[in-house]
Amino acid sequence: MLLKSLKLKDFRQFKGEQEITFSTDPVRNVTVILGENGSGKTTLAQAFTWCLYGDTDCDDKSMLCKVTGQTMLPGNEEKVRVELALQHNNIDYLCIREQLYSKDNSGSIRRHNQTTFKIAYKNADGQREYVPDGETELRMKEILPKELSKYFFFDGERIGNMSKEIRKGKSAEFAQAVRSLLGLSAFQSALEHLGGRNSVIKMYNESYDTKSDSKMAQYTKEIEEYEEKLQAIEERLAAIDDEEAIATDKKAELEEEIRLNKDSEVLARERDELVRKIKELVAKKASSEDSLLKVFNNNAHSYFAKKMMSDALSQLAAADKIDTGIPYIHAKTIEFLIKRKKCICGADIEFGNEAYKELNDLLEYIPPQSIGTSIGQFVRECELRCKSSDTLFEDISTKFGFIREFDNTYTGYQNQINIIREKLEKMKNVGELQARLSTYERALRNLSVERRELDRNQALLERDKERRETERKELSLKDENNRKIEVYKAYAQYMYTTLLSLYREKENETRQQLEQTVNEIFKSIYNGGFSLSIDEKYNIQVIVNEFEGINEDVETSTAQSISVIFAFIAGVIKMARQSQNPENEMLVSEPYPLVMDAPLSAFDKARIRTVCDALPNVAEQVIIFIKDTDSELAETYMGDKVGSRFEFDKKNEFETNLVTR
Amino acid sequence: MMFDKEYSFRGKHAEYVVKLTAEYDDKHHKLFNTNYDVYAIAPIIGFLYQRKAELDKTGDATKIFPDKLIKEQQNLLFNYRLIMLLDEKHEADFNERINKAFRYYGQDKSAPDEELYENYVRGGVEILYEKLIESARSSEDYLTNLYDFIEEFDERYNESVTTESIVDLCQLAKN
Repeated sequence: MLLKSLKLKDFRQFKGEQEITFSTDPVRNVTVILGENGSGKTTLAQAFTWCLYGDTDCDDKSMLCKVTGQTMLPGNEEKVRVELALQHNNIDYLCIREQLYSKDNSGSIRRHNQTTFKIAYKNADGQREYVPDGETELRMKEILPKELSKYFFFDGERIGNMSKEIRKGKSAEFAQAVRSLLGLSAFQSALEHLGGRNSVIKMYNESYDTKSDSKMAQYTKEIEEYEEKLQAIEERLAAIDDEEAIATDKKAELEEEIRLNKDSEVLARERDELVRKIKELVAKKASSEDSLLKVFNNNAHSYFAKKMMSDALSQLAAADKIDTGIPYIHAKTIEFLIKRKKCICGADIEFGNEAYKELNDLLEYIPPQSIGTSIGQFVRECELRCKSSDTLFEDISTKFGFIREFDNTYTGYQNQINIIREKLEKMKNVGELQARLSTYERALRNLSVERRELDRNQALLERDKERRETERKELSLKDENNRKIEVYKAYAQYMYTTLLSLYREKENETRQQLEQTVNEIFKSIYNGGFSLSIDEKYNIQVIVNEFEGINEDVETSTAQSISVIFAFIAGVIKMARQSQNPENEMLVSEPYPLVMDAPLSAFDKARIRTVCDALPNVAEQVIIFIKDTDSELAETYMGDKVGSRFEFDKKNEFETNLVTR
Repeated sequence: MMFDKEYSFRGKHAEYVVKLTAEYDDKHHKLFNTNYDVYAIAPIIGFLYQRKAELDKTGDATKIFPDKLIKEQQNLLFNYRLIMLLDEKHEADFNERINKAFRYYGQDKSAPDEELYENYVRGGVEILYEKLIESARSSEDYLTNLYDFIEEFDERYNESVTTESIVDLCQLAKN
């Protein structure tokens, strides 16, 4: 398939009629279309898929140019049309898709029904003919199946998903499409013709003369039933393969995540331990504070009074006031002496003389007026009090020291908790991951149980079917007519078996060749110590060859994804071109163009060079959309391959013109 | 007689006492358990820091009930005697101070002494408030302030006074 030109009419921001002609030169086979982000690269890429398959990835489902829509008068109709001229199998086709829009009286734009799709081609006489309406879809499938188209019309944004799909060999359809690209479809048609549904062998099976023999009819019916059951089992087994692949992938992903986050469990335990310690600490601190305050409230009075007690006692002692009482002398004794005016010692006691004063003072210190008793009591009190508060300051200091230490320890714990919390915030909940992992593990177990069950049933059914077939064979030999059928069928069966083994051989060979080709290209683009392998279902696996290059970061892994897809597409296209060679007539295929929104910026310069070198060589035709910023690079590395150049001239958000550069 | 009837802190002193006896954290911790505990210490602090304060009649009052005072009379009288014995500014003559401490209490002529005592109580409340409450911003600060105050007090008054020296003085008094 070669793309010749694309004509747009009022398709999104491409107002009016605009046309772009692609280079079909075998050497200068590159068409470069330059445009900034948002200028229409993606839209133009989508114009291809809309034209061929009627759908786009746009959120806005209206294809009509907004500017055209605005200038329409109520009641007017406008058609959006995309025409893609292409050559396939040496026939020139023109694929035309149209969508009718009209403006109603309220001024809103209305879309009419479905799009119309026509394929025109030139017949042998050079006359234009149309593929009948009912067959357009089918013809399109022949030209380029939709499931394959996305590998030829693709944009950089989808690349991540695509490489995943390719690696998982998404569907049987995909493998089928690859086979047909690689020219294996002729083989397959032959095999299908001989041995598939509605095949030669089946026809023979159905053409046994069963009227003569009711057993024959019964066996045939039973065999058909077995076949149906076996078919169902095979389908289910294939589905189980897919489900298992998904679950296994998920399981590995989760296990990796759990491994990365398993530290979080340890951290969480540490945190809980710290929280417990903190609680303990808070309680200890509170009780220390309790006891400090208790000591204070009980003994503070005596403690604060100590100095005063000491001062008072000193003064009392110095003034000799403490020990001034005279034992067994009562006030009455003194009063008697004063009245007698003569002391015991014989001295005279005159009113106002020395002795009189002395005796009168003495009255204050002997019973009943004595304050000596009160002073004595006061002294005893001092003694008791000072003893009770003896250790107060030490006690309080010690307890306060503990409390201070608690505070420090507390702050320490709190800091540790904060550090752990920060770490944990960045981690995922392992419990949750574990739960999800268990779900997948359970699913895998169930699938494996189901598979064993199906395998057993399959074996049983095969055995029963074979037994019936043998019995039918024996019966058929008894009937002349049926015997003939049996012989024909044996021929068909033989051809089928032979062809199948040949096909398998060829396919194996082709696949190995593809693997080799893809790897060659992959290595030229991506020199990271990886290689690719392709299995029977055309799943691509990335294999690490060496230990170096394992520590790839995310950015290079994007580059890796892109490299995988480039290598795969380039590999398939290269193979398809090779299989065109006439000496390999059994395997015939078409070359395909590569239309891409190239994310050159995802690569480093060295890789841009290899990509630019590789693509025009492997693909028959390259139509590449690039950013202005990448244009210099592309010109430098691909300049001599460029056959035509276009540029987006963006007038405003809703209007872009395509101009030749 | 002072220590056998209801006592009221009034005005700003009432306010200070309320704060000194308030819970300062969520663990129900208080610096002073009751108004009485403040009342028992304040005159000593007032005397030692030489702070006297007049009655502030504005605002609310906070009380100590007479039964508590009567029960604690012995302690309060002890304070009274200490102050009377030691306040040389109030009374220069030691014998007269002894009289004030041990003889005049409860008599009419003790009115100025009792007035002095009350002034020291209020002065002490002010000191306690300033030292313990005023600068406190967080619940941690109260305990720290208390410790700092005790530490300061120890340096200022108690370092030089040992229990042994007091006991010796007591022995001396008994002989």
